[in-house]
Amino acid sequence: MRTFIKTITLLTFLVFSATHYLAHAQTTEYTIDGMTFGMPEAEVYTEDYDGPAVVGETITMLPNLAPLDYEGNKHHDIRMDILAQEIEVADGVRYRAWTFGGTVPGPVIHVKEGDRITFTMQNRSDEIVDISEPGAETSPYLKQISENPFMNPEGSIMPMPHSMDFHAGTVAKDDKWRTIAPGQTIKFDWVANYPGTYIYHCGTPSVLMHTAMGQHGVVVVSPKDGYPTDDQVDREYVVVQSEYYLTKGPGELYQYDFEAAQARNPSHVVFNGHQTVLHDQPLKANAGERVRLHFSNNGPSGTSSFHVIGGIFDRVWLEGHPFNEMRGMQTVLVGASGSATIDMIVPEEGKYILIDHEFADAEKGATGTLKAGPKK
Amino acid sequence: MTNFIQHITFIVLILATFMAGSEQAFAQENPIQIPGGSFHSILPEVEGEPIEVEDFYMDELAVTNADFLEFLEQNEEWRRSNIPAIYADSGYLKHWKDDLDPGENVKPYQPVTRISWFAANAYCRWAGGRLPTLNEWEYSAQLMDFDSAEEMNEFANELMGWYSAVDVQNTKTVGSTDIENRHGIKDQFGLIMEWVEDFKPPISNEISLDCGTVGRMQKLGNTYSYAASVRYITRMSFNPKMTTGMVGFRCAYDAGKTKQQAEKSL
Repeated sequence: MRTFIKTITLLTFLVFSATHYLAHAQTTEYTIDGMTFGMPEAEVYTEDYDGPAVVGETITMLPNLAPLDYEGNKHHDIRMDILAQEIEVADGVRYRAWTFGGTVPGPVIHVKEGDRITFTMQNRSDEIVDISEPGAETSPYLKQISENPFMNPEGSIMPMPHSMDFHAGTVAKDDKWRTIAPGQTIKFDWVANYPGTYIYHCGTPSVLMHTAMGQHGVVVVSPKDGYPTDDQVDREYVVVQSEYYLTKGPGELYQYDFEAAQARNPSHVVFNGHQTVLHDQPLKANAGERVRLHFSNNGPSGTSSFHVIGGIFDRVWLEGHPFNEMRGMQTVLVGASGSATIDMIVPEEGKYILIDHEFADAEKGATGTLKAGPKK
Repeated sequence: MTNFIQHITFIVLILATFMAGSEQAFAQENPIQIPGGSFHSILPEVEGEPIEVEDFYMDELAVTNADFLEFLEQNEEWRRSNIPAIYADSGYLKHWKDDLDPGENVKPYQPVTRISWFAANAYCRWAGGRLPTLNEWEYSAQLMDFDSAEEMNEFANELMGWYSAVDVQNTKTVGSTDIENRHGIKDQFGLIMEWVEDFKPPISNEISLDCGTVGRMQKLGNTYSYAASVRYITRMSFNPKMTTGMVGFRCAYDAGKTKQQAEKSL
């Protein structure tokens, strides 16, 4: 009798499921105001893949921005696998991070307004993937990591379900941003309809936990007609602010502090994933140069009052959209997941400190250095 | 449409699993009786709280590599080289040296992991039982005694830390976490995550793993229910072929069946 009832229940469920799926037929592609919507349905599958974890021509390690050297629009094939990696985030503080591509934050992806991206992501959290010693035929991004393994990444195993949420993409989350289990791969298309600097992060509940564990990064979408000062820019960098909520675990490693995350009391607030990376490896410029910073506050929960000591921001495009131009700003207030594209003229030779002017966060690490040489 | 086909395949396989299997003696000698009762599910769509759970029996410990080896010796169709692709992905027991040889790095009394839901199900049928239902497992997990709300909160905080740092390369042996419920069921926390019979409840499509899911699961408003929400959400992401180093299982047994078998043995 019990089996019979179960069978009936399951058959009912089957009919319900069939109705549910057939009711969700995919929309077709269409355009509004020159923007493209209605992407094909995402594919979820399993594959035997042991190639490079990050693949793509315009992907770089922070704080670099890969230049775009093409006219018009391009179709990008980008792969960014999910890897567990033990990394260092401050002196003596190591934890096993949940990452996109092996670092925190994940790789910087650079595309142009109107570009189409075919994105592939395998959840490889259940296997050890070494990103600091890639093979000869690996991707340019992994070469950068191997040449500068600042976080001392070490492959680790921590199988968890994960997903991807590109804020730069305009799609339905229940299809493209769906959660995939360890071992699964998801592949989907999106179009970079809006220019600006956008975060990406894992959207699997608890998003607070997944983002705080390290699953976030940045997509820079350059405007198709550029910013008005493009031809005067000498250097271009990406700076990402984020928080860690860590506490000492039972062994040597640190681990997630749930209560601190709920209470918004971070143990570390950092630029580019590490408490001292932007002092140990300062941004470089010369007096008189125009430096462009793509600043993103990836949170997960804090706000940032971004300021550069000794500088005034000549131009600020809030969220990086060329229409949102402001001038002469001392501080830019950026909420969680917000961004700004900032031009600053470097006044003279010397040191300029990048800082979250919310000083409690600055003293937890949200600082960095821009080191300027003499005028050339 | 691909999802739809996968869904149908899954349901057909579940039906096949229910109709197959032969019963043997308990793999674990003394499954523990859990007296029926009720508990508060954190699933927001469950109406008529609290949820009633009838008497049942459950293994004291998670199924070990040694237990599973015995199962494989008697059931060659579930060995790594024989298992059909529809019942497990390519990670099935991949950390074992060979079909019937876990190898030196896999200890006999570590919980068996990297087994699919289908394999776990087959094991429990062979052992004379079944996988615990989600409600049975969670009910048992809530039968923990704490002296104070502070103590419970502290435990739940440690649990959240564990979920953020599951160390599958150094999985402890069964019975070693010092965590047990008031009836003596050990290691429901802090060792591995476990398959349950209905790991993806029908309402999971409605919950759909949204960002708001966690908030809707916080009915009890404490860290303990937050940790439970992590379990529910993680399970909902699984599919029955999945194998990972984090997931193992233990078996449950119907109360009536257990009594009957007990009488037989007298």
